[in-house]
Amino acid sequence: MTAGGTPSGEHGFTGPGDPVGRAPAVRPFLVTSGRVAGARSGPQIPVETQIVATAAGLEQLDLLSFERHDIVAACRRPQSVAEVAARLRLHLNVVRVLAEDLRSSGLLSVHVPRADTARDLSVLRRVIDGLRSIPDSRGTLRDTS
Amino acid sequence: MVSVPSRTPGGLSVTPADRAPAGRSAPPLPVKMVIAGGFGVGKTTAVGAISEIRPLTTEAAITEVAAGVDDLSHTPEKATTTVAMDFGCLTIDAQLKLYLFGTPGQERFGFMWDDLVQGALGCLVIVDTRRLDDCYAAVDYFEHKQIPFAVAVNAFDGRVEHNLDEVRWALDVAEHVPVVVFDARERGSVRDALLVVLELALARARA
Repeated sequence: MTAGGTPSGEHGFTGPGDPVGRAPAVRPFLVTSGRVAGARSGPQIPVETQIVATAAGLEQLDLLSFERHDIVAACRRPQSVAEVAARLRLHLNVVRVLAEDLRSSGLLSVHVPRADTARDLSVLRRVIDGLRSIPDSRGTLRDTS
Repeated sequence: MVSVPSRTPGGLSVTPADRAPAGRSAPPLPVKMVIAGGFGVGKTTAVGAISEIRPLTTEAAITEVAAGVDDLSHTPEKATTTVAMDFGCLTIDAQLKLYLFGTPGQERFGFMWDDLVQGALGCLVIVDTRRLDDCYAAVDYFEHKQIPFAVAVNAFDGRVEHNLDEVRWALDVAEHVPVVVFDARERGSVRDALLVVLELALARARA
């Protein structure tokens, strides 16, 4: 029986009238039980790390709640950690922590890129060739008109 | 307990379109390049000019933990900064995907760069010649880290206020660091600037 107005924002959820552009300010690290780094020690997984739901993850999707559910659901196809964070409007480090949790439960597979990729000649050549093949502008080919 | 909140407009996470059968395709090898520079210098414009997706923004919370202070219990006031990072991507081939991250340029985000730059193929430091000091921190950082990088002067309105020798002198960049002029709005121009960085990376990998 709240007098006047709708109870909103009690748990940091955005109400219908709230802007959708921002992640809730209160919750980010609540969902990780306050952890800002994953269980494994050492550097955090790179932001471009690809994560994909496992078959077990998709099977158990309905048993997961909130952010864990959303992350596994968003990873039906491979996504980078950064993309998942952006699309779900979660903080990057929250996704990193939860991704590692979900991996250790076998619900997500996490593909950390090799550390020496930046010095891999064949990778560099492929990126260079790929970029070179990009046309100047986005439009359809002009010389056909 | 609270119930699952209804999704906000925009249907963030689970849309029916996502209900496709689980593709078991192997993920591509992700590689990344970093686009650094001061506020409003054209980082997001450059990312957007070449990305195959509309640039996404992720907000990364940076606390003093992220800055390298391990023991929070002795930190009476835990400062949390949120930095917005814009990024896009480009499929090179079925097995290779290039990510482009635009990173905030201010000096105090140096630790964020460490996190982001780890494993990067190289970096483009975008410069606005009207505000050269905005990019000192980035130039210093990449020189110190020995990451292949080039300085790209963004030609706002198609013109540059200083010639490139003056920019090079003012920034005090080493001779081996390329300084180029580009237009952050033009796809071909961004592509060529990135290629300058990649050629450096290739030369280094060969050495």
